[in-house]
Amino acid sequence: MFKNYIKIAFRSLKKRIFFTFLNTFGLAIGIAGAILISLYIYDEFSYDTMFKDADRIHRINGDIKFGGEARKFAVTPAPMADALRSDFSEVEMVTRFRTWGSALVRKADTEANIKEESTTYVDDSFFQMFGIDLLVGDKATALQEPNTLILTKSAAEKHFGSLKNVLGESVLLNNTETYTVVGVIEDLPLNSFLREHTVFMAMAGYADSKIVNWGSNNYQTFIKLIPGVDVADIQVGLQAFLGKYVIPGIQQFMPGVTEEQLRAAGNHLFYDTVALTDIHLSSNLVAEITHNNDIQSIYILSFIAIFLIVLAAVNFMNLSTAHSLKRAKEVGVRKTLGSNKSELVQQFLIESGLISFLSLVSALIIAIIALPFFNELADKNISMPYTSPVFWVILLGATLVLALFSGSYPAFFMSRFIPVKVLKGGGQNSVGGGTIRNSLVIFQFAVSVLLIISTLVVYQQLEYIQDKDLGFSKDQVLIVNDVYAAGTKAETFKKQVKDLGFVKNATLSSFFPTPSNRSDSTFSPKEGGEQQEDAISMQIWGVDYDYVATMDFEILEGRNFDTQFGNDSTNIIVNETAVKNMGLSIKEALGKQYTPDMGADNPLYYTIIGVVKDFHFSSLKDNIEALSLTLNSSANSMAIKLNAGNFSNAIAAIENIWSEMAPGQPFDYYFMEDSFNRTYEAEKRLGNIFIIFTMLSILIACLGLFGLAAFNAEKRTKEIGVRKVLGASVGQITYTLIKDFLKLVGIAILISLPVGWYAMSKWLEDFTYRIEINGWVFVFAALLAVIIAVLTVSYQSIKAAIVNPVKSLRTE
Amino acid sequence: MLLKLNNIFKWVQSGGQRVFLLKDINLSIEEGEFISIMGPSGSGKSTLLNVIGMLDDFDEGEYNFLDESVHNLKEKHRANLYKQYIGFVFQAYHLLDELTVKENLEMPLLYSKKSSSERKSLVADMLDRFNIVGKKDLFPSQLSGGQQQLVGIARALISSPKLILADEPTGNLNSKQGEEIMELFKQLNDEGVTIIQVTHSKKNAAYGSRVINLLDGRRI
Repeated sequence: MFKNYIKIAFRSLKKRIFFTFLNTFGLAIGIAGAILISLYIYDEFSYDTMFKDADRIHRINGDIKFGGEARKFAVTPAPMADALRSDFSEVEMVTRFRTWGSALVRKADTEANIKEESTTYVDDSFFQMFGIDLLVGDKATALQEPNTLILTKSAAEKHFGSLKNVLGESVLLNNTETYTVVGVIEDLPLNSFLREHTVFMAMAGYADSKIVNWGSNNYQTFIKLIPGVDVADIQVGLQAFLGKYVIPGIQQFMPGVTEEQLRAAGNHLFYDTVALTDIHLSSNLVAEITHNNDIQSIYILSFIAIFLIVLAAVNFMNLSTAHSLKRAKEVGVRKTLGSNKSELVQQFLIESGLISFLSLVSALIIAIIALPFFNELADKNISMPYTSPVFWVILLGATLVLALFSGSYPAFFMSRFIPVKVLKGGGQNSVGGGTIRNSLVIFQFAVSVLLIISTLVVYQQLEYIQDKDLGFSKDQVLIVNDVYAAGTKAETFKKQVKDLGFVKNATLSSFFPTPSNRSDSTFSPKEGGEQQEDAISMQIWGVDYDYVATMDFEILEGRNFDTQFGNDSTNIIVNETAVKNMGLSIKEALGKQYTPDMGADNPLYYTIIGVVKDFHFSSLKDNIEALSLTLNSSANSMAIKLNAGNFSNAIAAIENIWSEMAPGQPFDYYFMEDSFNRTYEAEKRLGNIFIIFTMLSILIACLGLFGLAAFNAEKRTKEIGVRKVLGASVGQITYTLIKDFLKLVGIAILISLPVGWYAMSKWLEDFTYRIEINGWVFVFAALLAVIIAVLTVSYQSIKAAIVNPVKSLRTE
Repeated sequence: MLLKLNNIFKWVQSGGQRVFLLKDINLSIEEGEFISIMGPSGSGKSTLLNVIGMLDDFDEGEYNFLDESVHNLKEKHRANLYKQYIGFVFQAYHLLDELTVKENLEMPLLYSKKSSSERKSLVADMLDRFNIVGKKDLFPSQLSGGQQQLVGIARALISSPKLILADEPTGNLNSKQGEEIMELFKQLNDEGVTIIQVTHSKKNAAYGSRVINLLDGRRI
């Protein structure tokens, strides 16, 4: 019997090749999309799970409001580690990271530096904490001595060629500090929080790590709990740290200050923990070691994956039931020949199983071909887990469920046919099920319209960000990194660059208005400095005289730094937000004096000489924060404002000057606009993924509609014949056929507009600076759906309308 | 006595009125009879045939088939009854297009759960008997109408029914093919199979032993 079913299924699928193709293709696209998205999501959830005892490792976070706005930090003070060790017997070990950004690295006795992008100081418990083995070197003693470091394999090979002669070698960091290499570790996995780090220096040599200072937060502090301990115990215990450690620290600067006073002034400080494996998807705090993803994008993608599969399954049901007219006779004959219902159900389920299986195979092929493009789109390095039995089990299981889910409705629907009726050839009345088919079409189009709306809104918001007046000019600004490597010649470098014809201006600074990790300082006013609430939290950016001009900031009041005034070194320029936080007007602010080191014996007061218009230096998801500019001669980088023209020539000329000034030092540059764009990469990725999967879902919906239109035309052959005999034109008949579908699409649009509006309003809430959703988005989405629907059904309808009525009426 | 209909009524509601499809039909049929049901279009011939074949319900009356009271049976039992004892032949043949001649013949046996060897021998017998061995691997679309109906009859016969119900079996055939089919029915009847056919043609009716005339759902 089973063999017979398979044989019949094969033959009938082959016979209805067009229908089979629509079904298989639709399902295959749905499955392929879902496979890719699932792999992506699986990868996202795999972050940091490869570390030994990952489930017992947690990081300490700080939630601090101390003047200014509340901020959540991924970093805590240096003495946190010792406090944790001494206060909690549940803590098995503690490891701190003090990230140190990029460093120029060279072997001792060589000239040329090679840049390592991410370096960090780390405690020697590192290896045991994360279960990391040394490829060469002694794990028991590594990183215990000051000025020792370990490298990742690829970094070691880059600097030394092979791992053979690395141990004991000396390297220079930033041309000044000498370190001994004491070990090499395997490169850290791409799905770990340490993926970018290549150089790990011994914390033992970093003096700041031993100073008991509860006022500055710079250390990523990880703890490993002893097995069986509940992390909630630690979280409760951490609440006592404010009174026990932090307040005594503050009292050194502000004698007599109590916890109650701080709280009364609206300040707070909480320490909390986050599980290592949760960091990637749920932690987006200040000073994360690497950029993390957002769980929200995972939710959105999951929804899309589910939508795709459901859309494809719906298609399947729709096409199969629609097609049942053709198979009604078969059901009738089989029943009179002795088949009962359950045998027919079995037969149809086997057919849908066969289609599902064919689709699965096609989906795998599609997914394999699409994977490289998807990786690029999603910025991932995902591979097909061919060798994982779990993958195959899930895939086959899911296909089976899909076959049952999408096959059961048509199977039960068809097996219910009554032989007397269907064998008489009663046409449409004998089949029925129209309401369900129509609902399914409405559902498909509602989802498609929803996705079109989402895509439009996401793109508009991205465009808005791109074109928004940021308060400075980010275009044609080239930033040269690591100019400190030129030492005292940095100034000369700047002068010579400024003399180049195509350079408008140049400035030396370590701070640029693109998002990055920066810290605040608390500024207290000279008058009323004892009052907690008068203090404000502000960033300090060290800049030079050309900074404001190069960045194109607008000075609202007062003046820029100027060489003609001799004593600008104790003057600052602040932004509008800073003035607002001070509770002053722009005019009042001029001349006011503030200090960042209140509590020092002889605090240095800065005088406000200018107010610049607010500019966006952070993501547009955040509010603009208070900021001050001060003159500072030490700078990491140089920003060069170029005239429009041939940038590659300009870069070559600047590089020439650089190699004269700083021979052997790498010339490392980027365009400010690129850095700016990188900030919104996550959103852009989301936008691209949206577009692609929206197109896929529309394609699937169209396949379904196309099949349904074919069915509908066939069902109404007789009606069309009669109408033609009575004098209807081809156009009139085509219109009659299309009209029915447009009604469905209209209902779908009515459903999806409010849903789309609500969903996208929620998404936009993430952005402090955002667009209003425009009415035309809905109009456009609706029109697009209507046009697509009309195009899809036209072919079948026109084809049916031009048939000679003699032919269609003869079938009775 | 093969079957007996007593006061069978069948109606549909139309515009608040009962329209009778069958009205007070009384009929008894013995094994070995060859009956022709005749009447103009809409007189209820096919309806009566479907009631006898248990494919359709009736609203009033009694129907006894062999020793079973069909009117008291649940649908499932009724279905088992017709599967076991009745074979159907259709005007439009209703062969399954996806199956070869051999497979079409085999299908009823699959549903009655005959073993594979039994199926093979029964199909071979039938192919032999109808002289269509050479066509066993062809699909219905590759056969002429007469040949298709031949297969249809063979398929109806393969599970050795007591009764064959044929609804205008020659309606789609030309006169020569029609004659051949009627000859075949005659021969089957001689071999002991009871046959009830619906027909328009007096000539075809003449092959039978008895004619039942219907008009507006009544026997006349």
